[in-house]
Amino acid sequence: MKKRLLLIPLALLLVVSLVAIGCEAEEEKDSILIGASRPITGANAPIGDAAFGPIMALWEIKINDAGGIYVEDYGKSLPIEYIIYDDATDVGAMVRNTEKLILEDEVDILFSSCGTAFISAQAPVANKYGMVLVTAEGGATIMRDALYGLPYVFVNLPFSDHYQLPVFADMCAAAGAKTAYMITIADLHGVEYGGVAAMEFDRVGIQVLANKSVPITYTDFSLLVKDAMAADPDVFCVFAYPPIVIPVTGEMMVIGFNPPAVIMGPGGNFGFYGATFGVEAIEGVSCFAAANSKTGPEFERHFSELEALVGWPNLDWWGTPFYEPICQMWEQAIEATGTLDQDTLRDYFATHHFDTLLGDTYYEMFGEGGGLMVKETHPGEIGQWQSGIVEIVGGGDWPGVVLTSEWIYPKPPWPTP
Amino acid sequence: MPESIVTILDIAIGGLLLGGIYALIAMGLSLQYGVARVLNIAHGEFIMIGAFSTFTLYTVLGINPLVCLAIVGPIIFIIGFLLHQTLFTRLRIAAPNPGAYEASSLLAAFGLLFVIQNLALLGWGADFRAYSYLNFGVNIWGAIFSANKLVILGFAVGIGVAFYLFLIRTRLGKAIRSAAQDPQTASLMGVNINRVLSICFGFGALMAGIAGVLISMRVPLNPAMGLQYTLIAIIVIVLGGLGSIPGSFIGGFILGIIGEVVTHFEPSLSLAAYYFIFMLLLLVRPKGIFGK
Repeated sequence: MKKRLLLIPLALLLVVSLVAIGCEAEEEKDSILIGASRPITGANAPIGDAAFGPIMALWEIKINDAGGIYVEDYGKSLPIEYIIYDDATDVGAMVRNTEKLILEDEVDILFSSCGTAFISAQAPVANKYGMVLVTAEGGATIMRDALYGLPYVFVNLPFSDHYQLPVFADMCAAAGAKTAYMITIADLHGVEYGGVAAMEFDRVGIQVLANKSVPITYTDFSLLVKDAMAADPDVFCVFAYPPIVIPVTGEMMVIGFNPPAVIMGPGGNFGFYGATFGVEAIEGVSCFAAANSKTGPEFERHFSELEALVGWPNLDWWGTPFYEPICQMWEQAIEATGTLDQDTLRDYFATHHFDTLLGDTYYEMFGEGGGLMVKETHPGEIGQWQSGIVEIVGGGDWPGVVLTSEWIYPKPPWPTP
Repeated sequence: MPESIVTILDIAIGGLLLGGIYALIAMGLSLQYGVARVLNIAHGEFIMIGAFSTFTLYTVLGINPLVCLAIVGPIIFIIGFLLHQTLFTRLRIAAPNPGAYEASSLLAAFGLLFVIQNLALLGWGADFRAYSYLNFGVNIWGAIFSANKLVILGFAVGIGVAFYLFLIRTRLGKAIRSAAQDPQTASLMGVNINRVLSICFGFGALMAGIAGVLISMRVPLNPAMGLQYTLIAIIVIVLGGLGSIPGSFIGGFILGIIGEVVTHFEPSLSLAAYYFIFMLLLLVRPKGIFGK
C-alpha cells in the first residue's frame, strides 16, 4: 500500500515533467522556416536564377548577418532558413512541392514559385491551406478576377494592362506611330500581351497589322521577320521570352529591319540581352523596365548588390525592383505583428502600407479577397537601351515615377557589320 | 527577282538549314538506336554540351566557333565511346535478351539525361547564354540570309555527306553497317562488336556535339535545351526509317522544309505539323521512308 502511495506522486511528477518538456519543445524555435518550390532545373530555370532567386539569397545573408527577424511571440530574433525544392519547371511537381512544404515541412512562410502559370496554380493551393503567398515572377489579367476568391494571395509584378501596355501605347501614339506588328509566344503570356496590346493600340488609333503566334521551341525566325519587314510597321513588338527575343533581334539586324519602335519583352530587360549583341548594337531597343541605378540611391544599392552577386548579364531592370519588396514586407509584417500566424499576417498585408525599395508600398484589395500591388508604387514601366544601359523612359502619370531619360523615337539604325 | 521567287528561296534555304541541323542530330541518334540499340533519350544533352562548350571557348578564350568543331567534336566522341564501353556494354552483356537490353539502356539513358543536365547546371548555371557570330546579311538573288545560317547549312550538309561516304567507303563503315544488319553474324565474321557498337555510340554523340556547336551560333542556350532536339530526332529517324543513315539525312531535310512551309503560313502550327507527320507515319508507313 505504501509503495502504491509512493508511486502516485512519482507518476504525477513524470506526467508533469513530460508536459513541461513538451511545452518547452513547442515554444522552442530556432529559425523562421521559409519554403519555396523553384525551377532549379527545366525551362524556367534561367528566369528563376536571374529574378527572385538572387533576391532570396541576398535577403538570407542580410537577415542572418543582422541576427534575424525579431518575433515577439518567441521573445527573440530568429534567423531565416530556406527549404527549397526543385519543381523542374513542372506545374504538377510545383503543386506537390507546395503541399509538402505546407503539410509536412510546416514552413512558417511560403515563397512564390516562378512564372505566370505557376503562380496561377500555386495561389489556390496556398489559399486553401491559409498560407500567405506574395507572388514574384509572373502576373496576368486573369489573376485579377481570381484574387476576389484568394484572400491569402498578393500579386507584386506588373502585367500587361497594369500598367506597361497602356503607357507604351500612349508613348507610341504621342510619337506619331500609326501601325504595329506583333510576334507573341504561344502561351498565356503571349495571348495576354497580344490581346491587351491590340486593345491599347486600338484605343490610341494605332492599327495592328498582324499578330503572329510562335511556339517556344521554334528557332528560325527569318521568314517571320521578313514578313514583318514587308508590312513596314512603325512599332514592332515581340511579346515572348529570351529564346525567341534574341534570335528575332539577330534576324532583324541581318536583314536591316529597323522600325521606329521595337519592344522586346520579357528578355530585353536582362543584361544578357545586351551582352549577346554588344550594348552598342541594341541602342534604342525598348523593353519592360521599372528602375535602374539612377532611379534613386536605394536602387543604386539594390542593383550594385545584385551585380556583385550574379554579375551584370543577369541584372533584370524590370523584375527585381518588385521582388526585393516582397522580402522587406515580410520582415516588416513579422516585426510589426510579432507573430508568424498566417491570419494575422494576412490581415497586416491587406491593411497596412510598407516602406520598401519602391517607397510607400501597399495593395489594392479585391473585396474580401487578395491584393494587387498598386500601380502607384511603380517607378517606371518602359525602358530603352541607351548608351549601354536600360534607361527608364516611360511611366504612369502618378507621383513617384522616375524617368531617367527621354524615349528615343525613331530608334537609331542597327550597326553595319 | 519577283517577290514570290524570293519567298520560295527563303522557304527553301530556311528549310534546308533547319533540315541540315535535324539531319545531323537524327543521324547521330540513328547510329545509337539503329546500330547500338540504345534509344538515347540523353542525345539532346550532347547537343547542349556541344553548344555550351562552344559558348565558353568563344566568349572566354576567343576561339572561333568553327574551330570549336574540331575541338568539341572529338572530345564528345571520346565521352560517348567511353560511356558505351562502360555503361551500355555492361548492360548489354548483363541483359538476357535484346529486348531487355533496350529497356535497361533506355532507363540508363534517362538517368544520363538528368546527370548531364545537372552537371551543366553546376558548370554553367541556369542562365541564358548567347553570343553573336557572323550575324550579318548575305544577298542571294535578292533574298537576304544571315551568314551564320549559310555556314551552318554548309557544314551540316558537308558533315552529313562525309559521314555517309565514310560508312560506305571505309572498312570501319562496313563493320558498322554489318553490325546494324546482324550483330551476331558480324561478330562471327571477326568484327569486334563491342568496339564497333561503342564507336557507333561515340559517333552519335559526335554528331550531336557538332550540331550543338552549329546551333549555338543562332540560338540562346540553357541546360534544358536538349530534350526538344531529341524529340525531333526521334521523329526524323521514324520518318527516315530506323537504322537508315541516308533515311535520317534525307528525313531531316524533309522535316525542315515542311516546318518552314508551315511556318510561312501559320507559325504556331510548325511543331504540331511535326507531330502530325509522326502520327501519320506510324499509321501509314511505320518502317519509314527507307526502312526495310
